[in-house]
Amino acid sequence: MTARTINLNVNGEHKEWSVAENDLLLTELREREGLTGAKYGCGIGECGACTVLVDGQPSLSCLVLAQSVDGCDVLTIEGLARGGELDPLQIAFLDQAAVQCGFCTPGMVLMGRALLNEIPDPTEKDVREFLKGNLCRCTGYSSIVRAILTHRR
Amino acid sequence: MVPEQQQLHSIGQATWRRDGQAKVTGAEEYVSDITLPRMWHARVLRSPYAHARIVHVDTSYAEALGAVCLTHADIPKIRYNERIVSTPPHLYRDRYVLADKARHVGEAIAAVAAPTEAAAEQALRALRVEYEVLETITDPEVAMWDGTEPIYTNVQLGDQELSIEHNIAVQRTIELGDIEHGFANSAVILEREFATSRIYHAQMETKGVVCRPESDGGITVWPTAQSIHNVRQLLGEIYSLPLHKINVKRVPIGGTFGSSIQMNSVIPICVGLTLKSGKTIKLVTTREEDMYDHVRYPSRIRLKLGATKDGLLTAGHMHALSDIGAHNTQAFAFLSVLSGWWASLYKLPAMKFEGKAVYTNKTPSCAMQGFGNPQATFAVESLMDDLADALGIDPVEFRLRNYVGLGGTFWGQGPSVQSIVLSDGVPELLEKGMEKIGWPGRPVSGSQTGRYRRGIGMARGFHTSGAGAPKPGEVIDYSGAFIKVNEDGTVDVVHALMDHGGGTLDAIAKIVAEELGIPSDRIGISPADTLTTVYDVVTHATRGVYAGGGAAHKAARKVKAILLDYASRVLGIETNALVIEPDETLGQGVIYCPSFPERRITVGALAKLCQTNSWGSIAAVESLRQVNCPPAYVAYFVEVEVDTETGSVRTVRAVIGSDCGTVVNPDLAVGQLEGGLSKGLGYALVEDNSWEQESGRLLSKGFWVDGKTPAMSESPLLEDIDTFFADSYEPSGPFGAKGIGEAATNPCAAAYGNALYNALGIRFTELPITPERIVASMVAAESGATKAVLV
Ligand code: FES
Ligand code: FES
Repeated sequence: MTARTINLNVNGEHKEWSVAENDLLLTELREREGLTGAKYGCGIGECGACTVLVDGQPSLSCLVLAQSVDGCDVLTIEGLARGGELDPLQIAFLDQAAVQCGFCTPGMVLMGRALLNEIPDPTEKDVREFLKGNLCRCTGYSSIVRAILTHRR
Repeated sequence: MVPEQQQLHSIGQATWRRDGQAKVTGAEEYVSDITLPRMWHARVLRSPYAHARIVHVDTSYAEALGAVCLTHADIPKIRYNERIVSTPPHLYRDRYVLADKARHVGEAIAAVAAPTEAAAEQALRALRVEYEVLETITDPEVAMWDGTEPIYTNVQLGDQELSIEHNIAVQRTIELGDIEHGFANSAVILEREFATSRIYHAQMETKGVVCRPESDGGITVWPTAQSIHNVRQLLGEIYSLPLHKINVKRVPIGGTFGSSIQMNSVIPICVGLTLKSGKTIKLVTTREEDMYDHVRYPSRIRLKLGATKDGLLTAGHMHALSDIGAHNTQAFAFLSVLSGWWASLYKLPAMKFEGKAVYTNKTPSCAMQGFGNPQATFAVESLMDDLADALGIDPVEFRLRNYVGLGGTFWGQGPSVQSIVLSDGVPELLEKGMEKIGWPGRPVSGSQTGRYRRGIGMARGFHTSGAGAPKPGEVIDYSGAFIKVNEDGTVDVVHALMDHGGGTLDAIAKIVAEELGIPSDRIGISPADTLTTVYDVVTHATRGVYAGGGAAHKAARKVKAILLDYASRVLGIETNALVIEPDETLGQGVIYCPSFPERRITVGALAKLCQTNSWGSIAAVESLRQVNCPPAYVAYFVEVEVDTETGSVRTVRAVIGSDCGTVVNPDLAVGQLEGGLSKGLGYALVEDNSWEQESGRLLSKGFWVDGKTPAMSESPLLEDIDTFFADSYEPSGPFGAKGIGEAATNPCAAAYGNALYNALGIRFTELPITPERIVASMVAAESGATKAVLV
C-alpha cells in the first residue's frame, strides 16, 4: 500500500497527513485527529452518522478515501461552533429538543447546515428530502425538522 | 388531578438538556470514541454456520502474528444469563463467554487482540476453526418436532441442571377463573391468530467496550450498557473477581431500545482478553455483527375473547409462541409479561394464558421497547375492534366499559408484579383523541371504493412504570441515589441510572431541584461508576423517572431535612416553620420563615457555615423500591390513506395522547411520543428481518436499510402529528410523575391495523402490514377468497 502525503484543512487548520490508499477519511478524522464527532454507524453509507462537509458538500466520510481529500476543506461537527459560539442551528437543535441519544446529531446538524447554505429558506419537504439518508432511531425526526425550519426563520 | 397546592418551579419547565451542548458539538464521548494509552484492539471470530459443533480452533497462526487469542478453552466454564434482572431462581443460564457450540450465525467463537485494529483484523483472518455442521432450525414449529436436532440438551435454571426437550426453552400457563364458564355465558366469541415480526432494534450506536487492567488486579470497564451494576456483578461472577475490584463506568449510549438491557456479549469477551493479556483493550462491533446480536421477540398469538351482549368481556384464552433464537435471554420474563400486559388491558373475569418459548438457530431475541407489550397489544386491540364491530358498539365505548383503570389491578411485569391503579387519564385521552381525529366522521368499515381509501382507527395501551410492587416478585426492582450539597449551595447527584436519550437524568435533576427548593441549574449530575454509586437495577420497564427519580426524591427529602435542621440552629426558628425556595435574583435556594421573612439564609451560606464550623457535610444516600407499578397510559388515533393499487399507506394524521402523570420534561416528553410513533409505525408497516431457511443467515446480509428503519422522508409531516398529555397525577410517583418511554410505541401497530380495517374492511393479523400484503389481501378479498367481514 503506497502512502502519500496530502495537505488539507480540517476545521480551518492546515494538516499534512501521510495516508495509505485504503485509509478512510472517517478513520483519519477520528483516530489521527481525535475528531470523534463523526460517528461510525454502519461503515457502508447507510446511516449518515459519519457525515462531514468537504468543500461545503456533505460527504459520508466512511466512504471517502483519505487521499481524495487532498487540497480540500473538511468541516466536522467540532469545527462548526466558532470561538465557543454555537452555530445558530446547534442552538435550534437544543431549543427544539432535537437531541436524544445524540449519536445521529453531528451528522444531522451538518446536513442541516449544508442544506441551509444551499437553500436558506427550505420547505419541510426540502428538509425531509435533503436529510433522508441520515437515520435517527430516537426522535422520529419531527424535532430535527422543526429545528432546521425554525432556524430558517 | 394535580393537587392544588403543587406549585412547581423546575418540573415541567423546558430546559436545554444537560448533555445537549456536548452532543451538538461532537464532544460527547461514547464507547467507540474512547482512546486510552497503550490501547489494543480486539475483533471477534463469529460462526458462519447457524448450527455447528466446534471441533477445533487453531490460534497458532494468529499468535505467530503477535495477537492474543481467546477461545472457549480459555474462559471460565460458567454458564450465565446476560440479563440479571430476574431473581436468581428464575435465571435460565445457557451461554458462555465464548460458545461451546455455534447456535446461530454470528455466534462468538473466538477473539483476538492486537496493537492496532488492522493487526487484529489480520489475526482474526489467521484463526482456523474446524466445524461440524448440524441441521439448521429456523422455524419454531419444526424445532419442537420429534427428531429435530436439539439445540441444547440441557441448560441451568438457577443453580440446577435443566434438560431441554423438543427445543422448548420455557413454557408458562397462567390461569385465573373459569374460562369455560365465561365463554359459555358469552353472546359473542371471537378467535384469531396474530403474528408479529422479529425486528432489529436499529439503535444508532453498535455495541462496544473498553477494558483496562488495574495494577491491583482489578479492571475498569467502559461498556455500552443499560445497567452498570448488573454488568459489574456478572463480570464478578464469571471471572471470580471481587466487586470492589471491578469499576464499570457509565458511558453515554447511542440509543438502545432494550438492546443493552443484558450485559452485551462483547463485554465479557473484552474482559477475558484483558485478563489474559494484561492489556487495555477496545472492542467495537460492526453493524453487521450488531444485527446478528439481538432482535425483538417475535410472537404468534392465538387469542380468543368472549363478551356479553352488553359489551362486557367474559373470558379470554391466549396461546403464545415465541421464537427466542439461540439463547434464552429472558424468555421466562417475556411470557410473564405477555400474560401481564394482556391481563391489564381489559378486565377479564376469567383468563388462561398458555405460552411457549422455543429455541431456533437464529439471532437471540431480547427486550425491545415495550417488552412483549407491542405484541400483546397488537393482538388484543385488533380483536377488541372486531368484537366491538360484532356487538355493534362503538370501539371507544367498548374499551371504556372494559379497561383496567382507577382501582383496578395492574400487572407491571407478569403475575408476580401487581399493584392497584391510582391514577387514570384514560377517559380524557380517549375523549380528546376522538375529538382531535374527528372520530364521529369516520367511514363505515369497508364501505369505500376507488383507488385511494381513507380510514380512522384507534388503539390504546400503556406501559408499566417500573417493576415494583408490594410483594417481592420474580423481578429485581430498586434504585438508589446519593445527594450532597456543596459548600456554595450547588448540589451533586450521584446516581447509577442510565439515560438512553430520553432525558431521564434531566428529570432527576429537576426532581431534586424541586424538592430542595434550589434552581435546577444549581443541580449537577455526577459522572457515575459502580465504585461510587449505590445499586440501580437497570433503565428498563419505563422506570427511569418513576423509580430512579423516586429514589432521588427520597434522598432529596432527607437532604432537605438536614438543611432545615442546620438552618434552624442558625436562624433560631423551628425546623417545621422553615421553607426553601429558589430566589431568582440570588440564583440559589433561600431558607426562610414565612412569618419572619427577615430570618433567612441562602443554602450556599448555610453549607459554607456547616463546613467552616466543622458541622459536617449535608448529604444523604437512599435506596427505594417503589411498591407500585403505575400504568403509563397511551392512546393512538390515526387516519391513513391507502393507495389500493400500490398498497402504500400514508399517515394522514396521528394523534397520540399520553398519561404520564406530571410531565417533567415537556419537550422531551413530546419527543418520546414522536419517537414512539416512528418506531411503532415502522413495526406496523415496514420493518422486518428474515432468515434464510437453509443457512440461517439474515436475508439482509447485514445491510441495515433492508430492515427498513423509517427515514425522515418516509415519516409523517409535522402538521400531521398531534401529541397531548392528560391532566394526571400519580400519587406514588415523584411529584406525581410516572413513565412514558415504552408506552409511546405500544398501541401504535394496532391503531394502524384498525385504521386499515376501517379503510379497507380487511383485518390484517400479521406484521408488518406491507404494501405487498395489502395488495395481496385486496386481490384475495375481491376474488372472494377471504371475506371482508368478521369470522
Ligand atoms: S457510518 Fe457512514 S453512512 Fe453510516
Ligand atoms: S437522537 Fe438517537 S439516533 Fe437520533
